[in-house]
Amino acid sequence: MSMSDWNIVTRSMRHRFFSSTITVLSVAVACGLVTLLISMRNAGENSFKRGTGNVQMLISKEPGPLPSVLNSMFYAQAPGNPITWAQFQQLKSSYPFAWAIPTQLGDSYQDAPVMGTDLSFFTSFQPAAGLSWSLQSGTYFEEPFQLVLGSDAAARLGLSLGDSISLEHGAPRTQGGHTHDEFEFSVVGILEPTGTAHDRAMFTSLESSWILHAHDRREAIFGHGIVTIADDLIEEDKKITAVYASLGDRKAALVQVLSALRRDPDWTVANPADTVGGLFSIVSNIDQVLLAMAIAVMLSSGVSILLALYNSMEQRRRQIAVLRVLGASRARVFGLVLTESAIIGLLGGVLGLGIALIGGMLVSTALAQRVGIVVEPALPIDGYLMIVLATVALSCLAGVIPALAAYRTSVVRSLRPVG
Amino acid sequence: MPELQDQPALTIQGLRHRYAPNQPPSLIVPELVLNTSEQMVLTGSSGSGKSTLLHLIAGLMDPSEGTIRVAGTCPQSLRGQARDKFRGRTIGMVFQTHHLLMGFSALENVMAALMFSDIPRGSHRARAKSLLDTLGIATPDQRVERLSVGQQQRVAIARALACDPVLVLADEPTASLDPENAQAALDLLQQACRSSGSALLCVTHDTRLINRFDRNQHLPAPHEQLQETGGGA
Repeated sequence: MSMSDWNIVTRSMRHRFFSSTITVLSVAVACGLVTLLISMRNAGENSFKRGTGNVQMLISKEPGPLPSVLNSMFYAQAPGNPITWAQFQQLKSSYPFAWAIPTQLGDSYQDAPVMGTDLSFFTSFQPAAGLSWSLQSGTYFEEPFQLVLGSDAAARLGLSLGDSISLEHGAPRTQGGHTHDEFEFSVVGILEPTGTAHDRAMFTSLESSWILHAHDRREAIFGHGIVTIADDLIEEDKKITAVYASLGDRKAALVQVLSALRRDPDWTVANPADTVGGLFSIVSNIDQVLLAMAIAVMLSSGVSILLALYNSMEQRRRQIAVLRVLGASRARVFGLVLTESAIIGLLGGVLGLGIALIGGMLVSTALAQRVGIVVEPALPIDGYLMIVLATVALSCLAGVIPALAAYRTSVVRSLRPVG
Repeated sequence: MPELQDQPALTIQGLRHRYAPNQPPSLIVPELVLNTSEQMVLTGSSGSGKSTLLHLIAGLMDPSEGTIRVAGTCPQSLRGQARDKFRGRTIGMVFQTHHLLMGFSALENVMAALMFSDIPRGSHRARAKSLLDTLGIATPDQRVERLSVGQQQRVAIARALACDPVLVLADEPTASLDPENAQAALDLLQQACRSSGSALLCVTHDTRLINRFDRNQHLPAPHEQLQETGGGA
């Protein structure tokens, strides 16, 4: 194999291994950060929309659509204003719903929110488009005081089938909560993961939730030590906090029903997908700031390529002068330095994608476990290609000044004997 | 290239060089002819412009006055890339400090001289290997920084001769070697030039080398020359 410009470049890089490595790493970190930010931004909105599934309307008495969606679909906080059972029945009969699922939030176990609902939650509601509920093990609840756990809740709290626990009244992280030791809930089912916030939650029948609340009411009247059963429930105890509803395929009717409900001051209605979209348009300012930061990091790593190559020029003047003596033209030594910066850009870019993919996996795992949001930080393949190309282009740009220094190197001066 | 064979390896006429227009000349060579395969040593004290002369011949600088022809071609008449290519192909250079490419093997250093020439790539390796072999480098794949100083100078000689140059320029080739190594290196340089048919112009301050060469000439410092002839700049 004869010598080529490529040999010269790669050998010189290896000869200055430490400085080449540091430069490549700094490019890789910058490129990784930019890629991660861009892909996260892409993934964030998609994954948030995912959790809203096939719900066309979320109906509640919350102050507005956004808190309503965040509280009742993403379990941010316990919803405030309850809906009575009678109001729900009336709502249901007033509009041509394909399905309307009552949900009640307010209790929790450790950090996991507990949702009271009925079995239609598992049969009609799809947590993500095209995805139906299924069980890892056990069954859905059939009687009061039976719990079905979201996959994350089960894994995180280390609960398995047959375990008994006591719930706390009040949503997670709220003050004034108390534990209902009088009621033992048993785990009867564990759900398959859905990649939505619902994985963090636990599910039980509405009746169980109502009995907890009825017990509080009755204790205030009759004192400690009383027993509350389903028969003790009165109309006042039967409250829910939101309704997941859909008209099915009747898109035309949807517009009418939405506008009718919006006009009704008794109800807050949200189209969950739109609400989440709206949320992201608010957040997009922040993410432009992040993008600007990423670009700044990228530029600073461009400067570090420039400095690394420029400093190495001092050591390399002799090498360049020797190559010139051997017959290399100015243009060729210019090309050599530019090739080196392109290689740094390419290595840094590819390594950066690796960092971004691993970082993305870590972040998405953390998000999925902590927040129950599935973020898939992936870009289309040409997106990755663009990022690598941009990194190489930026590196070449940073290489121009050192390459010019190589171009201008005075052979005569650089070959003077040392000492 | 029959015309090249007929031309002297080097012709210099009326050469004067100044570093700046208003300064006295730093180098004066009224006339010098070096025939094909001829070996000549130019002695001179430091400040006589010996290295400058070699840089001018190699076309790394342009003289203020006079003409230089290497194998009939004036390097200064060539522009940019053409001049670099001409230098690579026609002239081999050996320096006081060897100026090898660090991080590369002996073989690669010699091949680096071939990569800028029009010699077919396929032959580079064999050519470099046989040259190094002739010069007694038994480990051509060893990195040059691991070789002894004497061996490094041999690699530098091999590199200078890689393209079968018409002219080899040697700038104090023995100055960084001990007497024994200096002898050996010079023997090898002269032998190698002879067998490749290259002319050799060696500049040195060491007058002990004079007897080894076909011709020798003293290169007086410019101010001495100007006093002798009484001429001004």
